[in-house]
Amino acid sequence: MAAYQQGDRAAAEALIERVSPQLHRFFMAQVVSRRYADDLLQETWLRIHEARHTYRPGEPVLPWIYAIARHTRVDSFRKVRRTEIREQQVDVLPELARRTSSPPPGPDLEALLAALPEGQREVIVMLKVSGMTLEQVARATSSSVGSVKQKAHRAYQKLRQVLLEMGFGTAAARMD
Amino acid sequence: MTPQDIDRILAQAADRSAAPNLDSAAFARAKASLPPTFGPVRPMRSAWFYVSLFVAVFAAVALCGAWAFGVRGLPVLSFVRRAVVFPVVLAGAWIAAVASFREMRPAGGTRGGPIALAIGTLAPLAAFALLFQNYSFQNFVPEGVRCLLAGLACAIPAALLIFLLLRRGFILDYRAAGLAAGTLAGLAGLGMLELHCPILKAPHIMFWHVAVVLVSGLVGRLAGWMAENLPSRDQRERSS
Repeated sequence: MAAYQQGDRAAAEALIERVSPQLHRFFMAQVVSRRYADDLLQETWLRIHEARHTYRPGEPVLPWIYAIARHTRVDSFRKVRRTEIREQQVDVLPELARRTSSPPPGPDLEALLAALPEGQREVIVMLKVSGMTLEQVARATSSSVGSVKQKAHRAYQKLRQVLLEMGFGTAAARMD
Repeated sequence: MTPQDIDRILAQAADRSAAPNLDSAAFARAKASLPPTFGPVRPMRSAWFYVSLFVAVFAAVALCGAWAFGVRGLPVLSFVRRAVVFPVVLAGAWIAAVASFREMRPAGGTRGGPIALAIGTLAPLAAFALLFQNYSFQNFVPEGVRCLLAGLACAIPAALLIFLLLRRGFILDYRAAGLAAGTLAGLAGLGMLELHCPILKAPHIMFWHVAVVLVSGLVGRLAGWMAENLPSRDQRERSS
């Protein structure tokens, strides 16, 4: 990142290569289509480029990048919502193609996360999908570690309820 | 079901629903967001530097405003009142300055705008309630409106200067930045009023002087909301 700030294009491209898969997964896990995630990824890198002077060398880079990524997502959702309010649907949309292969065993991540409020979902994705620490998530979300812990705790309570409703409690007990 | 069970189920679900590796086109698009050539940038200075600058703006605007309107309040304040009121306002300004700086940088720290507004209004309110005991409501509205307008007139240049400083960073949440910057600008107005206003009636000071901070903070948040929701020039050009 420090080399990127010095105008080194190769360093910037290396950063894109290294962090993009993680960021893409972050967007994909928040119930968006692949194409939408690609757009969000590109928009995030545009913003990272504009904001690169705000990174302070020596500080962890991931929270800084994720702070920009989550705001890119939030702004994009707002924009989409505004557009949806203004636009009227005139044509009947084609039905989505049905999944031909058999459904995967176990619950779908999107289905699990869909049960959570946005703030809790974001924290769980950063902690469990992106593999960030509590401190990093707190920095990325401009909140305290205590607040992140509380959100994670509440999310786990809700996930436990959802999994039990899906019948996974008994499966977990059998596995133990 | 233990948290470890949930961890395991989440990890398995994440693995299953993970998108296939990013294709080269997606990487190419991400890399295309970089301009062909770009020069070096100087990393932002430390938090202390910007917080000190914000506080300097607060002090400069309050002092210049008091000089312009006339320093008639300071001579009528007792030593104890001076020793309490100005440090309380300065402490509020410091907290608002820290909150403003945090909005300048992605991952800059815990959001502090609402806390700054709460402290910026409640702490002076408590200090005024303790220090002023004249509860006369004579000329409450005419005198008060004059002070509110003078305070807001002082907050406007402060807000503009703070906005120029904020632009040195990269604002992610305009509403939060507007709230923090508006609170700081309002405190500059309040500081000016304490130097300028010779009225020592508790209701006047507690309501109209403190209202400057509240109104300025809320106007700042509204301005931030507008900045987020009104289409930018780029968007208008793209849509046309």
